[in-house]
Amino acid sequence: MRVAVRDVLGSQQFGLTAIIVLLGIVLTFAAGSHTDAAGVTHNNFLNSYTLIQVATDASFFAIMAVGATLVIVSGGIDLSVGAVYAVAGVTMALVLRAVGPVSPTATVLIGMVTALGVGLLSGLLNGAMVVGLNVHPFIITLGTMWVLRGISFVSSHAESILVPPSLMMAAKATLGLGGALSPIPMLAMILVTIVGSIYLTRTVMGRHIVAVGGNPEASRFSGLRLGRVQIGVYVLSGLTAGIATFLGASFYGSASCADANGYELYVIASAVVGGASLTGGKGSAVSATLGAILIVMMRQAIRTMHLDQNYEWIIVGTAIIVAVVLDRHGTTLLARRMARRATKGVGPADARVASSEAPPSVMVS
Amino acid sequence: MTVLQQLRRRTNATALVTGVLAMGAIAVIGCAKGKEGSQASGDSGTASTGGGATSGQKPFVIAMIAKASTNPVFLSARKGAEFAADSLSKVYNRPIKIDWRTPPQEDGQIQAQRVAEAVNDGVDAILIAVSDAGKVTGAINDAVARGVPVMTFDSDAPQSKRFSFYGGDSHEIGAQTMDELAKVMHGKGNVAILGGNQNAPNLQQRVQGAKDAAAKYPGLKVIGAFYHVEIPQEAAAEVVRVTNANPQINGWCFIGGWPLWTRTLLTQIDTTKVKVVSVDALPAELDYLDRGLVPVLLAQPTYIWGTTSVGIIVDHVMQKKDVPAFVKMPLIRVTKDSLGVWARQLKAWGFDDVDQRYLAMK
Repeated sequence: MRVAVRDVLGSQQFGLTAIIVLLGIVLTFAAGSHTDAAGVTHNNFLNSYTLIQVATDASFFAIMAVGATLVIVSGGIDLSVGAVYAVAGVTMALVLRAVGPVSPTATVLIGMVTALGVGLLSGLLNGAMVVGLNVHPFIITLGTMWVLRGISFVSSHAESILVPPSLMMAAKATLGLGGALSPIPMLAMILVTIVGSIYLTRTVMGRHIVAVGGNPEASRFSGLRLGRVQIGVYVLSGLTAGIATFLGASFYGSASCADANGYELYVIASAVVGGASLTGGKGSAVSATLGAILIVMMRQAIRTMHLDQNYEWIIVGTAIIVAVVLDRHGTTLLARRMARRATKGVGPADARVASSEAPPSVMVS
Repeated sequence: MTVLQQLRRRTNATALVTGVLAMGAIAVIGCAKGKEGSQASGDSGTASTGGGATSGQKPFVIAMIAKASTNPVFLSARKGAEFAADSLSKVYNRPIKIDWRTPPQEDGQIQAQRVAEAVNDGVDAILIAVSDAGKVTGAINDAVARGVPVMTFDSDAPQSKRFSFYGGDSHEIGAQTMDELAKVMHGKGNVAILGGNQNAPNLQQRVQGAKDAAAKYPGLKVIGAFYHVEIPQEAAAEVVRVTNANPQINGWCFIGGWPLWTRTLLTQIDTTKVKVVSVDALPAELDYLDRGLVPVLLAQPTYIWGTTSVGIIVDHVMQKKDVPAFVKMPLIRVTKDSLGVWARQLKAWGFDDVDQRYLAMK
């Protein structure tokens, strides 16, 4: 029992959750309050609308961050998620426009299949080029970022294309909460996070991703098919971008080629703040989602406390740098400590582990 | 301690330190902000209140969401809004605040989020220049449904439930700009149109207006409309690229003044061959007028975007008066002859970077 409690308290997710709760408490006290037309006083932060708004704003980044985390854990990077979001959204809107009026259920299904399908194909394109051309994923996804953004620009004629109202009604369904509370994006974020976490930690494919990212050479010698794993993670990253755009375009009511411009940086930032290592082998879907929520809460804090919003980039940028630097120094220190223990006679196997940082199997939190 | 435990301990500490640093940064900025007061230029937050006579009353808060806080025309509109808020606070003996919530870059989705946040924070009205009508219409309708009236300026969301729009007739602005260019070019030559952000509906209409007007002049040939990110350097680079690629161009119709906010075109364009007519007449553009590359500027009274819009909101929401659904904004024609008068007008509207040479002109 004590071990289980210690494990929970010592987990990265607990640390991030504690920070989010702490920031929430600070905001609750600092935000002040307002009185609505009915004379009821509301805290400017701790109210159902703001909390769901924060979760909704985070959901689009977080869903993509789950996919991006898989890529990062495998040792890759995907800069094209924002462009995949745009091209999948524009394609969905164009297809729905071409199909014309159909039943609400058919509209949702056609929209979902189109957005997810385009996302998946875009991811497949990324993965196939990374593996087939043997070029660093940074370069490939940088290229596809521009290509896909350009395709969405040309195909939409830079028009903001409205999606059918039934799609918006579905994405904004209140599910009995009443008022203008729309929890669908938040629930989708939770669902994607759970599925992503199970996939990464409880499936053979997920363990292969961690192994490939932690030590590609060892994975190759162990018989893992690296190309297949790499293509798989880009497909999943594209798929999560498709899910995000389906929700985003439905929620906001339109899709355009300018959508999600620059969001790839927020997505990668969410994964990194969530503890993913850009050198691969380490990362967690739950932590990526918590990282996205933390970043959105920082942005919310700036507006709730009426601070200069231009500091948003400085704060988010500083947080990312600090996270990465601490992560890197922590890894180095850990490796040194393990090496010292090994030289004191712990055993050759542990010494090997210490010299190559840590084995992939213990890196997932 | 196992490797797993050590890693967990380390990553937990990483998250902890990151979060604490972030909160520390927010707190430090909050303190700095408090010391500065709310009059810092180009920043955000709630500014402009009525005088001491109106203190103690619940303020009337207007959330102002322009397209981009890096665009000087919207900073000018903000100054106008804050001036109007100050003045009207004294007239109605109630503090009126402008709550500036403009994103740093154009993004319809972020604007929609800002609208929802403003409603959650209990503002009394929202004033917005719409970047992407498709994205923002739903958020405006949600705000109205929750009892917060919304007004648009500069760029509209016509399908939304906003109660009024203050701005130019975009098609007419484009047509007027092309007509002025046609006069300068004596109705003949090869012209290009600079279109800004192709997603902004008002700019699309301006481009269409310019094309329609050009069709009236048989001697004018439109080479094309060219779009770009609405950053001055990007816009200037696009003009240079297009001019170099199409040396037959001898006229540019700028439906926004973006490239003229840099000095690039003073040296990169052959001013003896190419003539430009542009919408907007901000301080940085006056050099172009003086040197003859741009014979005519069509100024948008950007400061008045703020003053007039706040006046309309106060009339409609506080005073319960009827207001028109569309209030038309006229353009102001600025030439070298009126340079001095216009420079002093800009100075009076709060632009601090007007060249002394122009202020001294008649």
